[in-house]
Amino acid sequence: MPGTTPRTGDLTVLPATALALGVLAALLAWPVPAALAHARWVRRDPLVALVCWQAIGLAGGLSIIGALLVHGLAPWGHSLPEAWWHWVTRQPALEPVRGDHWVAQTLAAVLACELLGVLLLSGVRTARTRRRHRQLLELVVRPGEPTADTETLLLDHPAPVAFCIPGVRPLLVLSSGMVEELDGPQLDAVVAHERAHLAEHHHLLLLPFVAWRAALPVLPAADRAHDAVRDLVEMRADDVALTASAGPEPRRTLAAAIVAVAAGAGGQLPAGALAVTGGAVAVRVRRLLAPARPLPALARWAALVCAVALLLVPTVLLVLPALL
Amino acid sequence: MNTLGELERSVLEHLWAVAGPVTATRLRDDFADRGLALTTVHTVLTRLEQKGFVSHDEARPRQFRARGTREDHVADLMHEVLGQAGDRQAALARFVGSVGDDEVRMLRELLAGAGDDAANR
Repeated sequence: MPGTTPRTGDLTVLPATALALGVLAALLAWPVPAALAHARWVRRDPLVALVCWQAIGLAGGLSIIGALLVHGLAPWGHSLPEAWWHWVTRQPALEPVRGDHWVAQTLAAVLACELLGVLLLSGVRTARTRRRHRQLLELVVRPGEPTADTETLLLDHPAPVAFCIPGVRPLLVLSSGMVEELDGPQLDAVVAHERAHLAEHHHLLLLPFVAWRAALPVLPAADRAHDAVRDLVEMRADDVALTASAGPEPRRTLAAAIVAVAAGAGGQLPAGALAVTGGAVAVRVRRLLAPARPLPALARWAALVCAVALLLVPTVLLVLPALL
Repeated sequence: MNTLGELERSVLEHLWAVAGPVTATRLRDDFADRGLALTTVHTVLTRLEQKGFVSHDEARPRQFRARGTREDHVADLMHEVLGQAGDRQAALARFVGSVGDDEVRMLRELLAGAGDDAANR
């Protein structure tokens, strides 16, 4: 229990933990996201890749805040819970407290507040925009045929556009330009793609990366992670749309729909909104037309185990000294 | 069916159609077949105002008019959804993002090439 004659040797545990967490944080801030963003296997299994990205994001935040916190509180105890308790109850430190301990504590608090605050703010702002769009759509457009789970609205606009607004009552919006541009099976494929986004709550997978890109504009990994997740979500929706499609050549149908929409949107776009997908559309079309073998089960599991391990390592590092 | 949402849509369409300022009493008379109370008309107008679709002047009695045409509102929405500005994220799942002309040409070639492969096989 805390309070029993402290042996000075034990106080090396926390600095070592801080170092380990710092190394992990550095790995997750640069080399790991870079490697995953460039990996080609992710196209063969977007779902597993999405799980990996979530683990990287969560473990990255946990390890950097954990490293700072552990270093900042190191003089107060042998484990984080103990040191935290001593610090909160204003007990004297067991070791002299230097300036860098205070700096680390402050940084940990600032970073935690910023990441959580921006996440919250981003969520609130997005929800507000969605509500505004929904209100506008409900007033401007006559309701389409109400289907089992989603309401489909037809928006009178020449550009071929399809999107969905997630929420308790999700909305699926098709433009009249889209309906004119595509044939029946292609339109079905587009609707299946959008339904997949809604059914799998892809907006929630993307939200933390949107927020953290805003919170950490200096970190190239945040930008890279966001773009990778955005593209993977589209690939995943393509895959789900294929399973829902009944046509003879579902892959070609969906690819043709993507190309038709990409071509049709070009002339209608406001200037300055062009060419921002960075080839992601081409990647989608390619993997539809020339599908790679699905990832072997073993590789799938290995990737998932890695993702879980990534989350467990910082958690264990934070708690383990308390159990020793 | 006189749900509030449906009423809002009807009133807004009426305001778009008359294209001039209208008083609440006149609106009530225009919708006489629905038997709306004047308070209901005011509720609907207030809600439309809060959403930014209707404005009123300071005359007595107040005159209400639509802010912007239906096309204006659709264009605004499309600009937000299509453009990069603001919270494009909100409409997360736009089917295909913005693509440049060069990329469109390349995509067409990809699709045509794959068709040829299938035919040759």
